[in-house]
Amino acid sequence: MSDQRHKDDPLSQMLASLPREVPPERDLWQGIQAEIAKTPIVTDTAPVVHFASTRWFQIAAGLLLVLATSFTTFVVTRQSMEKDAAMQMAQQQQQSQQQVPMAAPPLNAMPASFGPEVLGAEYMKARSDLNQRFEERIKSLSPSTRAKLERNLADLRHAAEEISKTLAENPSDPLLQDLLMSTYQRELQLLADVSEVPLSNPVRTDL
Amino acid sequence: MQYGAGANEPVPGVARAEDPLLSDASLVTAARGGDMRAFERLYRTHSGKVMGLCLRMTRRRDVAEDCVQQTFIRAWRNLQAFEGRSAFGTWLHRIAVNEVLSHARNHGTRSESNDEAIENALAEPADGSKEHDAGEVMDVERALATLPEGARHVVVLQAVYGYSHEECADMLGIAVGTCKAQLHRGRRLLRERMGLTAEADDE
Repeated sequence: MSDQRHKDDPLSQMLASLPREVPPERDLWQGIQAEIAKTPIVTDTAPVVHFASTRWFQIAAGLLLVLATSFTTFVVTRQSMEKDAAMQMAQQQQQSQQQVPMAAPPLNAMPASFGPEVLGAEYMKARSDLNQRFEERIKSLSPSTRAKLERNLADLRHAAEEISKTLAENPSDPLLQDLLMSTYQRELQLLADVSEVPLSNPVRTDL
Repeated sequence: MQYGAGANEPVPGVARAEDPLLSDASLVTAARGGDMRAFERLYRTHSGKVMGLCLRMTRRRDVAEDCVQQTFIRAWRNLQAFEGRSAFGTWLHRIAVNEVLSHARNHGTRSESNDEAIENALAEPADGSKEHDAGEVMDVERALATLPEGARHVVVLQAVYGYSHEECADMLGIAVGTCKAQLHRGRRLLRERMGLTAEADDE
């Protein structure tokens, strides 16, 4: 109760002791369900909130990361292994031709670093280009939007760095692999979204 | 007049969701993703309190039930706007208060000047369908129902549901000073009608 002066008087105690819960005499859920079924909830696909601002977002984001990147991880891992195998075969051919003994890397060798460079030169170039466009476009946005986007990007990069370090210690952890890939994807998506902002529109806030 | 536990038999087949493993936060997260079962659990958990609030504010069970229904429908439609800054129950109460006020505006049921309604409430006989075995509680509940609307809303929100002057003022769309004045007025009227001695600050 806000007014402490009244806290201990009998009237306040009687009011405070009244039951707060009064069950409806009929089940209202049926009516509610019928009504909300007509208007499905609008799910927020791209929430613009601080990466770690709320608990629900952390849970939802974690879930989303795992689900959304499994496929990508599979593809990237597969491509990486195929590339390694092709390189190994080429090296073996070269070795047999030159008759020079060399230590071949294991087929599924994991990289020592898990930074974005592990995704290849093509990815790094695309990322660099997008980053450049991001830097150009973000200058045209309002200060608050700009601050929010820069903070989101910094959060994503920090998260990627943390996951990368953890992954270096546990290179076979599939969840960490998925999370890392997903974080890189989200970083790219954020860069791409901002890159699409026309320079004539300086106040876009829906990112 | 007595509301609450013991005053009403539970609706058959309508058990309250009491799963300690599921917090409001996780249910809200699931509901935001479109999970209607999660939202039903939230309804089962919170409908009693929302009903109590609406019933005491409107004094009419049918109107209160309409307001409860509308509260949850509106909550579902606006789940994305719930930022988790306050408890989910508090957020629901805010919506419920809005519903009650909207209903009063749309149906012209403001009872501030409706002396007849107040007199009727005062004269309401003991109904066989309602139990009156707790005299003190019955008295305060009935006296509360006789208060003018403005004072009643403030007393219900503050003295029964524990909201602060600021929260109450915000919910009702009135100034904090008005809220304090209405609380003072409501308490004075309650004392008069319940035959209690006046507190020094009620004078």
